Order: sequence, then structure tokens, then C-alpha cells
Amino acid sequence: MDDAYDLRGLIFSLVEKVIPPILEGTFLEESTGQITFGLATFAVVNIVFLMLFFSQFAILWIERKAVARMNDRRGATTALRSLWVGENGVTAGEWWNMLPFGLGKPVGAVNKWLNKKFGNRDEKYPTVDRVNNRSWMGYSIFPGFFQNVADGMKFLLKEHMVPQRADKLIFEVSPFLIVSSTLLILGLIPLSSGIYATNPELSILYAIAIFGIAPIGVFFAGWSSNNKYTLIGGIRSAAQLTAYEIPLLLTLLSVAVLSGTFNIVESVHFQHSAGSWNLFLMPLGAGLFLITMIAEVERVPFDMPEAEAELVEGWWTEYGGMRFGMLFMAEYIRTYAACFLFTHFFLGGWHLPFQGLIGSIPIIGDLYLLIPGAIVVLIKAWLVFLLVFVWARFSLARIRTDQILEFGWRILLPLAVFQLILSAIYRLYLFDPSAMSDSTFGGTSWDAFGILFLIPAITTAIWLGIFFLMLNDEDKSGNTERMFHVYTDKAAGTYVPGQE
Amino acid sequence: MSQAKSEVKNMPMHPHAKPNFRNLFWYPFKITLITALRTFPIFGRIFGKRLSGGYHNTTHPEFLDDNSATRAASSKLYNDISQQEFAPDRVTSDLFPTLWKPQTVQYPYERLEDMEPWLFVPGNYNGRIGVIWETCTACKLCVSACPNDCLHMTTELRVDVLDGADGEHSGMGAELEVGGHAAKLIPEVAESLDEFNLVTAHTDTPDQWRFAEVLDLSGDTATVRWNDSGQEQEVEAAELYVADDQIVSGRIDLGRCMFCGLCMEACGFTSFFMTNEYDGMSGFNRQDLWFDASRTRVLPSVHQEAVDSELAKRANKERDKRAKKAARAAKESA
Repeated sequence: MDDAYDLRGLIFSLVEKVIPPILEGTFLEESTGQITFGLATFAVVNIVFLMLFFSQFAILWIERKAVARMNDRRGATTALRSLWVGENGVTAGEWWNMLPFGLGKPVGAVNKWLNKKFGNRDEKYPTVDRVNNRSWMGYSIFPGFFQNVADGMKFLLKEHMVPQRADKLIFEVSPFLIVSSTLLILGLIPLSSGIYATNPELSILYAIAIFGIAPIGVFFAGWSSNNKYTLIGGIRSAAQLTAYEIPLLLTLLSVAVLSGTFNIVESVHFQHSAGSWNLFLMPLGAGLFLITMIAEVERVPFDMPEAEAELVEGWWTEYGGMRFGMLFMAEYIRTYAACFLFTHFFLGGWHLPFQGLIGSIPIIGDLYLLIPGAIVVLIKAWLVFLLVFVWARFSLARIRTDQILEFGWRILLPLAVFQLILSAIYRLYLFDPSAMSDSTFGGTSWDAFGILFLIPAITTAIWLGIFFLMLNDEDKSGNTERMFHVYTDKAAGTYVPGQE
Repeated sequence: MSQAKSEVKNMPMHPHAKPNFRNLFWYPFKITLITALRTFPIFGRIFGKRLSGGYHNTTHPEFLDDNSATRAASSKLYNDISQQEFAPDRVTSDLFPTLWKPQTVQYPYERLEDMEPWLFVPGNYNGRIGVIWETCTACKLCVSACPNDCLHMTTELRVDVLDGADGEHSGMGAELEVGGHAAKLIPEVAESLDEFNLVTAHTDTPDQWRFAEVLDLSGDTATVRWNDSGQEQEVEAAELYVADDQIVSGRIDLGRCMFCGLCMEACGFTSFFMTNEYDGMSGFNRQDLWFDASRTRVLPSVHQEAVDSELAKRANKERDKRAKKAARAAKESA
């Protein structure tokens, strides 16, 4: 079902109203159609790109804060605030006096007012007052969100250095290769059916093709830096990305088979008009997609290519300053893109949870459908990032290279093939094309024996059952005694050192 | 051999150490989830109560000896552990002894001493430098002992409390003289000094003295010119204390200090201390770390014994000197 907010249509109709009268009578009159299309597309592309790019700050912030919580900390709390909240209203000097264009006085006045209003005045945290540059407000209002801006400013001010014996041309080119191919992915990601930059027929294939360019840049970067760490990182990256690209492609193929299209927007529409999000039809595929995506964006536990403990920073060790920042940003954009792709392929894109059921209720349903699709997509993508990428990153340990490759080739690849077969079976034998509908309620293609949504329900139940079976898969009979002290083979509490 | 092998095979394993799906995959997720939830006070309270071994967020009569209780009461504002929100208990296993324990103290939002009042910064911890300037004699032993050159000595106008000592040592100090300096106590400020906490105040210690130059002495009254206003005034000589413009003052560059404590060891007059305070020593620029006399000041009342013994020592010295002088004068007149 189309999202109620059609930004693309709005901009196109506006431009089509404004431009033709201007061009009338000029020599450009004949190409009015192309110019209109070009201008409107330019506007839409920019808006969509800016929306995607700046909403990316949220995931950086989510990661910092969630990770801090998982580590029993609070994370960034005071970035940039230290400029205006110091101890007892004393900030880091009167820095605003250095501002140009006479901005010093007004900015200073605002700053002083902020200090007066929000400075350290709370007696609840005397220790916070006692340590400079902190604030008890630091963890209660929007803490640390602008830390990334501060980091970016720092990166911009750093020197650009090229190793003396590096392959200079390739060294300079590969970050551009990585960053530009990464930014191109954003162009294919719809925020809703009415907010997207471009929508080619085979956008799934196109997105994956672009996703596959960056590994070349990674290998170039690792090779051209003329450094053993970058080289090892680059080679590991090449091996890993190749190994995981294939199950990823097979998983996407099974999504395409299930939804009968290679187009992202259409596959989202399919999930509504067929009656079930793909997550509930192919939980295995969703898991495969997430695992392979984590490996593709080189995040923990698959971050062998940039294993800090052994390879400094892996293949980007030699990049400093803003190039380092750009590479880091590219990595996060790839992760963000992966979140969006998961949202679109498995979580029904801009469709709200139970949109068909709730949307059919008279007044409440109408209000429910007023929630903008772009917001839904963003929230889903952020949740995927938080609940999968961040949580996995800070729970699991890094996996050895050989284990990564073995896992990829010998477990994920057969499972992906299995999922592909399953999808084909689902589509051929369990799917009822005649029950598809683009109405508010959506279709009922996945019903069986007259029971609504029976097939996704049973599929999900089976896979959850397998998950819980695996959780409890241990030999309980081997462990009838009480717990044992790890350093001895004596039962806990009975071991006294020096007394055997 | 085979028996040893089978023993190894049958060696009991910690249930958390088995490399199965639950322990390798699910259990880490569970631990991080609970840890993350616990950092929010509301979840912390719930999980802390459910899983705690009764350590944090509980009162500890068995830990609180008299000294700790006194200390906790003296800063009740932030030592009330029933008000602590964070770091609830975590269960732990022998395999992951650190994983579930509260490792992080959210300083400065919480302090270890606040969470666990039976702990304290040890007295021999070398923290912020503190000087009882009143007993300092400007011998500069500390300056020459400092390996980092972070101590600097200057002189300033100040009252030497030893000169104006009451009780058994009175009259053993210097006396008011014309052309010299005098000071008058400002009682309000002197009273507020007891409440004054250098660590939390972030300001200089207020001066309880008003300084003046002595213009004329006539019996019980003295004509003085106040240094702050420049006005001349006639005051009771008994109200005036002797002030000395040659009394030493120091500035300590804490940015250079490595807290070795050699200055404290060099001091022959028990005026130089390394306090055990560890915070309040930060600033936005290097100059903020130049601690002048008032920021390193330790009030004499904090170390009253040391001050008293120093007082007695000097009074006895002065007494001996006067006795010798009197003996010599008697001898000469004889």
C-alpha cells in the first residue's frame, strides 16, 4: 500500500507547474519535459540523500549510548556542552570573543544565559560540580548526540599523510572508491513509497552490485598502503567478503523468489498485498541476511579484517585525518543501508505493524495510517541497528578467520540454498496469488485451510521451536553434581588450597 | 595413560563453559541485555533486588564501624547509600568473575566512597598539596626538594598566628611597632571558615584579616592606615594582631607536580601535607592549575596538634632567647 505522504509526487507536480511557463517561448521550450524531470529529480535526490545522511547521526548516537549501557557506563554525555556549561558557570574561557562578524557578543550572551539557566546548580550531585567540565544535566538531556560533529571537526583539522613507499595513486583513489560506492547505495533506498531518489526495475540486483564494489577498494587500500597490517587486513577482507557475498546473494534471491520481483519498492508492496512480512515466512532467510550483512560490513563478530588487537586498524591503518573519518562513515553508511534493506525485505518497509488489522478499524485505523511511512522506516532501521548490529557487536567475541570462512562456506551457503528451495516451495505451493490485494486490509495469500495467516504463523513457530531446542541442547546427565570451581575439579566450596 | 585420558574426558565442566549454542550465542546476549537494563535506575532496582547478593542498595551495619559511620554522617548529603541509584548487584560465576559485577563507578555522578562508606581514600595517598601557611617559616626546604620545580615561594603580608597566640604562649611573638603592619580580625569571616570547604567551593578561601600599616602607637591605642581603603583610623591596640609583610607564600604548579611527596618529607615544621583529596584539581587551562596559597591552604584547626606543638616549640625557643638575653643583661650590669 502506498504511503500517504507522496513527497516525490508533490515536488514533481510543483516543478511541472512552475517550469513550463518560464520556458515558454524560449529556445529551451522543446526540451521542457527533460528539464522539468531533471530539476524535480535533482530536488528529490537531494532531499532524500540529506534525510538519509543526517538520520545516520542517530545510529552513531544509538551505538555509543547502547554500548555504554551494555558496558555498565553512560557513554558520551558532554560533547560540545563543555563549551557552555562549565563549573559554576565558568566555561572554557570566553571563547565567543574570538568569533568573527561581531557574533561574539550575541553568542556570548546566549551562552551566559544558558549557563545561568542550565549550568551546574543542582545540589544533588556535588561531585559533578566539583569536577570541571561536567554537568548533572549531561545524562538527562540528549546526551552526547553531537559527539560525532566534534569528531568530524577533529578529523577535518588533521593532516593528510601518505606513507612514503605507498602506491600513491591507488592509495588516494581507494577511499573515493569505497565512499562513493557506499553513498550510491543510499540512492536506491526508499524511505517510503513516496520518498525515494531513484527506483530502477532491478534495484535489488543493482544495490547488491554496488555493495560489491567496496571490497575491491578495501583490497586496493590494504595493498597500496605498503604495510603488513593493511595487507593482511585487505586479504582477510577479500576472503571474507567473497565468502559471505554468495549466501547473501542467495538469500536475496530467495526474497526475490518469494515476492516475485527484483524491485525493492515492489517487494515491500508485496508484503502488504500478500498479507505477511517476509520475516515470518522466512525467519531462516532473515537470520542468514543479518549474519552475512554483519560479515559484509565487517562488524563484530566478523571484524577480522580490522581486528584492533592484532592488526592495528586492519586495512585502513595508514589512513589518517578526514580519510579515516570518511572510511569510518562509509562503514556506518553500509551498516545503515543494511538496516534499511532488512527493513524493506523482511519487516514490511513503511507498513506499520498490523497495518491491515488496525487500519481497518474505522477512526483509529485512519489515525494509525496517518503515521508517515518515512518515520516508520527510520524507526524500524534504527531498531534493527540497535537490536542486531549493536547488541551482537558487544555480546559476541571475534571469530577466528578460518572459523569465519568455514562457517560461511560450509554452514551459511548450504542453509542459503535450503532457504532458496524453501522460498520456491512456498511461492509455488503455499501461495495463493488470487488472494493478493492492495486494499487497506491487505491480501490473504498466506492463509491455509481458511485460517488467517496460518502459514507465516506455523513457519515462525517452527523456527522458534528450533531456536529453543538449540538453546536447551546440552547433556544434562553429565552435570548432575553441583557446580564446580573452574580451577579445580572439586565441587565448589569444598576446595581448600594447600590441603590435599 | 588410558586412565588419565578418561579422567580428562570425564573432568567435570562448569556448565557455563560448554561450547554449545546457548553458551556461545545466547548467553552473551542475555548478559549484555541485563547489564544494559540495569544501568537504568528502574530496571536496576528490579534486577538488583531479584538477583542481588545484598551488597549494593542495602544498608551494611556489619561493615559500618564507628569511624565509617562518623565519616558517612559528616557528608550525609551524598553518602546516603539508600539514595544510590546505580550499580546494583550482579551475580557472577567462577568462569566470568568480572562480567556481571559492577565494575564502573559513574564518577563524578557517584563516588566509590559514597557507595561504600566503609572504604576511604587511604591517609598515605598523595593527593592535593595542602600547607598550613601559618606555621611555615619559608625555609624553602620543600622548594629545593622538589624534583619538578613546581613549588615557588614569594612573600606576602599576612598574620603570623604564632605571634598573636593566646594562653600560655602569649607574648612570645613579635610586637606592634611603628612602620610595621597590623591586622584586625573580621569575626564573620572567621566564623564562616569552619563551614568553608575548599574542595566544593571552587573559590579562594576568604581572608578573615583586614590589614593596615601602623602609623603611631600611643599606649592602648594605635593609629593605622587600612590597606584596603587607605583611610587612617585610631583603634584599640588590643584588637590588632601583628602582621608581617615578609611572611612566605607559595604558588604550586600542580600541572608539573608528580605527587611524589618529597616536599612533605622535607618539611621540618609539619606544615606541608599531601592531603588525600583527589578531585577538584582540574581546570580549563594550565594557569588554572597554578594553586596559590589560598588554594593549598589547610586550616590550622584541621591539624591542631601539629600547630600546637609547633607553637610550643617556637614559644620555648623565644623564651630561652629572652632568658639568655636577660641573663646577659644582668651579667653586664653586674
